[in-house]
Amino acid sequence: MGSRRIAIINGPNLNMLGKREIGIYGGKTLEQICDEIRHEGERQGITLEFFQSNVEGFIVDYIHSCAGKIQGFVINAGAFTHYSVALRDALGAVRLPAIEVHISNIYKREPFRHLSYIAPVCAGQVCGFGSYSYILGLRALLELLDETERE
Amino acid sequence: MKKFLAISGPNLNLLGTRKTSIYKESSLDEIHAKLRKKAAELGVGIDCEQYNSEGDIIDRMQQVPDNYAGVVLNAGALAHYSYSLRSAIGTMLVPCVEVFMSNVHAREEFRHKSVIADVCVGTISGFGANSYVLALEALANLAGV
Repeated sequence: MGSRRIAIINGPNLNMLGKREIGIYGGKTLEQICDEIRHEGERQGITLEFFQSNVEGFIVDYIHSCAGKIQGFVINAGAFTHYSVALRDALGAVRLPAIEVHISNIYKREPFRHLSYIAPVCAGQVCGFGSYSYILGLRALLELLDETERE
Repeated sequence: MKKFLAISGPNLNLLGTRKTSIYKESSLDEIHAKLRKKAAELGVGIDCEQYNSEGDIIDRMQQVPDNYAGVVLNAGALAHYSYSLRSAIGTMLVPCVEVFMSNVHAREEFRHKSVIADVCVGTISGFGANSYVLALEALANLAGV
């Protein structure tokens, strides 16, 4: 269990959290959210890796680099969720369980945000609970890994 | 003590007896047991119910504000077309979390659209019985538990 290694991936503009559109995304910065996730990781006895990029290709590179090194992803792909076929293919290619998370309830927002290109290659989706979406996503992933281990 | 309501919609009484590859193995009774266990851990109350009739769920929703701090709702197929359920959720002014056991986005196209998602606080899908448990944790967190 202690050797379990999970990657938390954040996509474009999430480095601006707490500084833009606070009404939608809340007032916490990405660093504060990562601290909350780190705290949950310590509670669960796992190792976390954090990655944020505004560049689609860098996220694709990072996902590829995780093969054989980490056991799963919690990913907030930001706007890439809704149009990045390359990101979807990268997640599909590495065949590691991924949980899609969103801070806001994407279904309350513009119609172009209702479609997720990555949802079909993710194990599941958590959206609408602010920074707590990441915590729930991480718990979902760990439970899924436990289940897979039991099988 | 904060009290929450978990409602499951049509056909979910058959869990554990149908298409187990999608819905995994848990029966609804087992899911309710998991919810009660989590509620006890969190120090909150939970009532677990299932209805096959849309109208019965609407009747229950209308009683929610007087009795519960939030709802975990797996509307089943109703999620994809029940505008009357949507209205019932929208008018109750108590947080409702939409859950699905399966990853609806990996299934038939008609399941990709939920008519209740935007009147719910958020959605949790794809984690089998654990979707319900995570939704209860989300509600407890919202309620400051």
